[in-house]
Amino acid sequence: MHPHPPKYPLRFLRWFCREDYLEEIEGNLLELYEHQYEESPAQAGRKFFWNVLWHFRPAFIRSFKVDYTSTQPAMIRHNFILAFRNFQRYKSSFFINLIGLSSGLACALLIYLWVNDELSIDTFNDKDSQLYQVMKNNSYQGNINTDESTPGLLASTLAEEMPEVEHAVSVFPPADYTLKGILAIDETYVKARSKFADHDFFKVFTYPLLQGDKDQVLSDPSAVVISEALANNLFHTTDDVLGKTVTWKGDQHSGDFRVAGVFENPPANATIQFDIVFSYELMQQVYDGFENLGDNGPSTYVLLKENTDVARFNDKIINFLKTKDEEASTTLFTRPYSDRYLYSDYENGVLVGGRVAYVQLFSIIAIFILLIACINFMNLSTAKASRRLKEIGVKKAIGADRKALFTQYLGESMLLTSLSLILALILVLLILPQFNHITGKQLTLHFDRNIILSITGITLFTGFIAGSYPAVYLSGFNPVSILKGGGFHGRSKSSGGEIWARKGLVVFQFTISILLTVSVLVVYQQMTFIQSKHLGYKRDNVITFTAEGKIAEEPETFLSEIRKIPGVVNASYMDGDLINIHNFSTSKALEWEGKNPDDMTNFYMLRTGYDLVETLHMELKEGRSFSRNFSAESSGVIFNEAAIESMGLTNPVGKTVKVFGEEKQIIGVVKNFHFESLYENVHPFYFMLSDRAENMMVKIEAGTAQEILTQLGEFYQAFNQGVPFDYRFLDEDYQKLYASENRVAVLSRYFAGITILISCLGLFGLAAFTAERRLKEIGIRKILGSSSLNIIRLLSADFTGMVLIAIIVALPISYLIAQSWLQDFAFSIELKWWYFAGAGLAALLIAWFTVGLQTVKAARVNPVECLKDE
Amino acid sequence: MKEQSLGEFEELVLLMVAAQHDEAYGVSILEGLEDKLEKSLNISAIHVVLKRMEDKGFVKSRFGGITGERGGRRKKFYVITALGKRMLDQQYTLRTGIYQQIPKISFG
Repeated sequence: MHPHPPKYPLRFLRWFCREDYLEEIEGNLLELYEHQYEESPAQAGRKFFWNVLWHFRPAFIRSFKVDYTSTQPAMIRHNFILAFRNFQRYKSSFFINLIGLSSGLACALLIYLWVNDELSIDTFNDKDSQLYQVMKNNSYQGNINTDESTPGLLASTLAEEMPEVEHAVSVFPPADYTLKGILAIDETYVKARSKFADHDFFKVFTYPLLQGDKDQVLSDPSAVVISEALANNLFHTTDDVLGKTVTWKGDQHSGDFRVAGVFENPPANATIQFDIVFSYELMQQVYDGFENLGDNGPSTYVLLKENTDVARFNDKIINFLKTKDEEASTTLFTRPYSDRYLYSDYENGVLVGGRVAYVQLFSIIAIFILLIACINFMNLSTAKASRRLKEIGVKKAIGADRKALFTQYLGESMLLTSLSLILALILVLLILPQFNHITGKQLTLHFDRNIILSITGITLFTGFIAGSYPAVYLSGFNPVSILKGGGFHGRSKSSGGEIWARKGLVVFQFTISILLTVSVLVVYQQMTFIQSKHLGYKRDNVITFTAEGKIAEEPETFLSEIRKIPGVVNASYMDGDLINIHNFSTSKALEWEGKNPDDMTNFYMLRTGYDLVETLHMELKEGRSFSRNFSAESSGVIFNEAAIESMGLTNPVGKTVKVFGEEKQIIGVVKNFHFESLYENVHPFYFMLSDRAENMMVKIEAGTAQEILTQLGEFYQAFNQGVPFDYRFLDEDYQKLYASENRVAVLSRYFAGITILISCLGLFGLAAFTAERRLKEIGIRKILGSSSLNIIRLLSADFTGMVLIAIIVALPISYLIAQSWLQDFAFSIELKWWYFAGAGLAALLIAWFTVGLQTVKAARVNPVECLKDE
Repeated sequence: MKEQSLGEFEELVLLMVAAQHDEAYGVSILEGLEDKLEKSLNISAIHVVLKRMEDKGFVKSRFGGITGERGGRRKKFYVITALGKRMLDQQYTLRTGIYQQIPKISFG
């Protein structure tokens, strides 16, 4: 009997020592140990320990880089074959995983494309990192309003006085608006959207010039720069157009202009789209009052020199206007130009977000959907682990280490994810047109470096998340107990924790599903509410079109003919736009008897023609609307209830007020109606009569749209030769106010559906597995007299519990989310209990149905079949 | 090819390998040297030197058969090569050469 040297030093030696020296060293150490043991066992042990430690030096430490070169290809092939055999053997879980992962990946890819596109918006400028917009904070009644209309002289003053500014330009009108007009050459008329811009405009923004010199094009007020598209429409070419004369007929100015340049169409990811640019000098001739630092109108963009400290620059300009005029109540700051799209909401002068909220929301949804698909994979693989126990046991017994098994199972999930990716890519290609339709984008899937990297990243990440837990779990089995016990219960440690983990994951899946279901319900209800809410006017069957040319000048003549068309109920016009109202006057403009001089209420104002109140079915509370039967109607004014209330007038009809210093008589009061979106309360408002028109409104009888549009178009062409007839329906315009909400509503409906589908797939797989595992138990229960119903109840009890927990967790969270979303609306639905109960019940029913398919099958099994082999 | 050299401890080990011709292995070299030098050495130093000299081609090794001793581990025997022998010869010539230059005066 030889003495045994200490265990741990020996194990340490075996771990670090190079294989080609191990035998020699170990042998020598053992021999020395034996020699010394005879003298003193304790000393021999100590000596052995030190001897081992002395060998821990570079000459004997093995390379820890694993050398796969010799066995790897064979192992990969082996693992591939095993993976495919497993897919084949467990077809149902393979398909469940494949469907789940591929639809999850497809969703994630679509969202990735969308998010990517959102993030790229307005980043097209070459000097994007230096390009800033100057914004204005205006304190007023204790509130701070943030907007982008800045003094007309700001750009040039900043450029002169601030050394950080490389270029500064004024652009009018501010960002989202353009001045519409018609551009004509010979007999060709083309509608165009126009802007006025300072001479450095094309140096600051990257709208490459196809023709013309960017230093010169905007220096002459009689010259214009037109877009590529406009040039093609007018001249059918973009070459040789310099110097040609075009005629502009717009709302604010008209005249002949020389084409000085052609710019490339603004890219699709630019929010500011326009066709023609006039010089800023011309604007100063057309409009009065943009010549000082006290007015407001154009927006101001600055190109800061490279490496400018923007925070310091902001500090410098914050009180810039006050240094020029002590009375100024506004402060300035800059924001990156490319932030204007995603970060646009300011509350009390503080940035609170904007569309970026949707980007974040959808990114989170994408992650959750992927996670839910991954959870299915985890649950199914760990659940079916018992069937693979022998495989694991044998592999381990013949020398596979934990790492090899880990790699094998991770590889299996990677393989499955890759297969799913192929399917997902096909799905994305199929769905993309539909997705573009819903999102109003033109996304394409073209494989550049970035997207390939991202897709690979998403796929590997998914594969890793899905595979890591099962891999850790499966590779951790103890081979001896598996092979000895031969069954699931041969596993050494408690399977309770693992079952809890699986249950927890199912609860998580259903929590997310229920959250999404409630959200979809709430968004849908709010959208329906908005569409059906009585706005105080009727927007159905109203055709609307822009008044142009002769119509803008003589709207009454035009309308008197229109009214003769059979089917036309009424018609009117407005000098402005009811749905996107931009006119409002500060309190200074409006005076009335008993006005508190400190009253700073803003009044919205719209100039209209006769019959507008009637055409839109607004209700009069008192008095009358504008009527041709009275003379001097242009000195009449109609207020809404909110205005009368804020002015504090009683018996208002007949009283006089001063508008811009002119005396007007109140002839009527209309009931409140929503002229803005339902995010806003009804603001004080008044109508005045106008003889100029910007938008025409024609109310028609329901169901006559087709014929009337034909006749209207013919008459329009005859009246306004050469101007194309573009019409819209008023209710469509209204819907556009909620375009992004509608998109979110539609998209979240799909995403919720997919989440529920994937969750149920997982549940289906788990139920099938449980039913199969308990088949013998069911057989025995049946023999002992259990009814099928009892067995169904027995099998679904577990799942019912999980879904119930998910409901309890999900409902409060969903309540909070819904509440905070609805808060943004001034008019919103109330959250009713049944939204939550409905979502919960739906989840429960779907889960029961899913599980039921399996349990019924199991309950109907003939006990003889499942017990005969015992 | 770079100049081959032989350190002092290497020379001792190599001498012992040559002396125990065909029977030299780790423990025997260690014990032989401890015996001659009358001090205790660490086996790891022997292993390192043997490895280094094998890389340089001064010794070559072979495994012996399995015996019941040493926990069934085989012995790795070292034999000196012709190159190793030449190195020893050179060292010997060098040293005796210098030694003989010592003048015959009294060191009393």
